[in-house]
Amino acid sequence: MSDRTKQFLLELCCVYTFVSVMGAIVNIIAGTETNNANVLVMFATCAIATFVLYLHRLFDGVSPLVMIIVQYLVACALIGLMLLALSILVEPITPRGWFEYFRSFTIPYIFLAGLYYYRVFSETRKQDALLKKIQEQKARE
Amino acid sequence: MRLNLYEDRNNVDERVDIYYAKMRPVIKQLIDTVNSERPTLSGRPADEDLDDGEEIILDPKEIYYLDHIDRKLFAYTRDGVYRLMQTLSACEQMLWNYGFVRVSKSNLINIYKVKQLKPDVNMKVYASFDNGERICINRSYKKSFNEYLVRMRRMGQ
Repeated sequence: MSDRTKQFLLELCCVYTFVSVMGAIVNIIAGTETNNANVLVMFATCAIATFVLYLHRLFDGVSPLVMIIVQYLVACALIGLMLLALSILVEPITPRGWFEYFRSFTIPYIFLAGLYYYRVFSETRKQDALLKKIQEQKARE
Repeated sequence: MRLNLYEDRNNVDERVDIYYAKMRPVIKQLIDTVNSERPTLSGRPADEDLDDGEEIILDPKEIYYLDHIDRKLFAYTRDGVYRLMQTLSACEQMLWNYGFVRVSKSNLINIYKVKQLKPDVNMKVYASFDNGERICINRSYKKSFNEYLVRMRRMGQ
């Protein structure tokens, strides 16, 4: 198994563990229960999300904004394929179901992208302040 | 830093004593100078009209950044562009003490010449120099760039 595959599987394990634990906590608080199909969909979604985020290494040459948009479109396409397969193999999904699924994926994605955007700006501000201090130090010497 | 110079024509044991509180880049640079190991870069003007065949010694302090294009290495100063014969990784090793850090596969920048670090709307982070030029800090090098700044700051304290 290549190092990349190992790394991908490791990240997928971490993501799925985090999501399933969070799901369990939400279920306990809300008093709801999940079923086997939901668990499998959750795993497939985690695999798609991890795979799409894993693609960031391919986008080193382009701007992060382009990377975020392309990753979102790839994720949408893969999720669409997954839902189509589910709709054919398990149970037809209503238009409302499609909408809900994409909405529940898009909202956290936009939120996390915004967080990333903010981090880029705040980290750069910190680096700039650090740089100024180093330059002042050098000027004093 | 205070500098004392003592001239004694009868001295047969010339020496330099350095009293320092902490080893930091400026002290290492002094040591390099005393040991005659101060890095010098020699290059020829990139503009062929200005190239008279003679190599010019470049002081690292004068260099804004190094750029590796088409297997050729160029040094950018306020006055011009010079082609160097060294490799980028050799320069990186030689000049890390002098404020040079790798920010992409083909660029080494002098942090003392950077006017500002600023992100663009498209989230790319650029280092702007006082000559108006700017170099993109690649995402893959962001972590090592930050570590370098922290290390330089710590060494200078």
